[in-house]
This record gives sequence, structure tokens and C-alpha cells, in this order.
Amino acid sequence: MDTLQRFALGEVDAFEELVRQFQSDVYGWTVRIVRDPGIAEDLTSETFWRIYRARQQFRPDGNFGAWARRIATNLALDHLRRKRPEQGFEIEPAAAPEPDRLVQRETQEKIRQAFYRLPAKLQLAATLALVEEKPYAEIADALGTSVGAVKTRVFRAVRILRKQLDHLGLTPEGAMRARK
Amino acid sequence: MTEHEMNEHETQQIREMLQQALPAVDTELRRDLWPAVLRKLDQRPAPAPWYRAPGFSVPRFSVPWYDWALIGLTASVFVFFPHLILVCAYHL
Repeated sequence: MDTLQRFALGEVDAFEELVRQFQSDVYGWTVRIVRDPGIAEDLTSETFWRIYRARQQFRPDGNFGAWARRIATNLALDHLRRKRPEQGFEIEPAAAPEPDRLVQRETQEKIRQAFYRLPAKLQLAATLALVEEKPYAEIADALGTSVGAVKTRVFRAVRILRKQLDHLGLTPEGAMRARK
Repeated sequence: MTEHEMNEHETQQIREMLQQALPAVDTELRRDLWPAVLRKLDQRPAPAPWYRAPGFSVPRFSVPWYDWALIGLTASVFVFFPHLILVCAYHL
């Protein structure tokens, strides 16, 4: 009897094998979405707890990795929904920044704020597709949706970001200039 | 420039801005998460099915006395006035 069959029957030893085999993949995927190692570790262990709880729904001939990634994606999405926009990352400067760098930091902070204000589904799609440059098919599989739906979410995210940055006086051209 | 090319251009610009603004994350897992998973399993065992929850008993199927009385009354009416079966069947 292979590991997946033993896991489906509820054997903890088989589950341990699967956790050790897939934890890096689930963590790597989750941290790309939530962008916080501590939260990603919590969500990864929560993912495996849910997997164990739902083991009877798993078919031993199925793809365990894809199933785990889908559960992890849903948990990460719930986390993004709960997270408030102002809980974004703060990057502390090592020393007092020069005026140009200060402008650059302010610009980047505004971009981050606009990004964290996106609806969770759009933020997730934009993070994976634009920031992490993951293939649309891989994102669609993890979200349990179609490639077209992912493309639409990314397109909507880009449109909203463009509008918000315009509103903040930060067109992409302006931001590029601020970086130079 | 076509609309598609403009969209591509816009997406590319936003992509570059986001990659600059969002800090890169280390995707390498630094520790084994099995102990944490095991702790969760110990602390939060899978919920028992609803019918096995403590203090819960499966309700036995029972019919109140007035329903039995109504059934008896209806049956006796149909015995003494059988043509009412057709009337009821028509209206139901």
C-alpha cells in the first residue's frame, strides 16, 4: 500500500511522510502570496492540519501536491481578506535617506499602499502573475479557476492600480522617473 | 499602438513598479513544520460527526398523538363515505 493510500486511511506515519515531502512547496507558494515568513509558516501548518482533517475526501490516485496547494491558496486568500491595508510592509532605512531616496521611498510606499488596497482576489492574482511571474495556468490550478479568469483578475488589478496611482499623482512614468 | 499593445505596455509598467516596491521574499523553508502540524493535530483533533458529539443523541422518529387521531379520523371517514376519496383526490 503506498503512502497516499495509507494517508487516506488516516495513518499518521503516512501523513508525516507527506508533510515532510510537500511542506517546502506549500510554504514557498504561501510565502509568495502573503509575503511574510512567519505568517506563511502558520498558514502552511494550518494547511496540513486541514488536509489531515479532509483526508477522506482525498482520492489516493489524485495529485496530492495540487490539492495541498489549492488548500494553501484558499487559506492565504482568507488571510489577505482579513489583513488590513495598513498592515503592509514597512521597510526601515538603515540611515537617514538622501532627498532623492526619500522621494523614491515615498513613491514605493504609495505603490505598496495602493497594492494592499486591492481586493484580495485581485491582489493574489497580481502578486503571483506580476511580482512572482508565475504562469497563468499554475495560478489558475491553485485557485481552482480558469486561465481566462486569472487573466481577467490581473487585468482588473492593473487597471485599478493605474487609476489609484494616477489619483495619487503617481503615473507609472512618474514613478519610473522617481526611481531614477 | 493597438489597444492590446497598450494593455501589455501598461501591465509591464505596473509589473516593474510592483517588483521594485514589494520586497523580495525568501521562499526557502528554514525549519521542519511537522512538529507544529503535530501540535495542531493534538490540540484540535478532527471534529467528531454531529451524531457523535458529546451530549447529542439522535432524535427517535415519533408521531404525536394528535396526528394519530387525525389519521384515524380520516381513515374512518373514508371507510364510511368512500366517495370522498375521489373528492379529496380531485382537490389534492
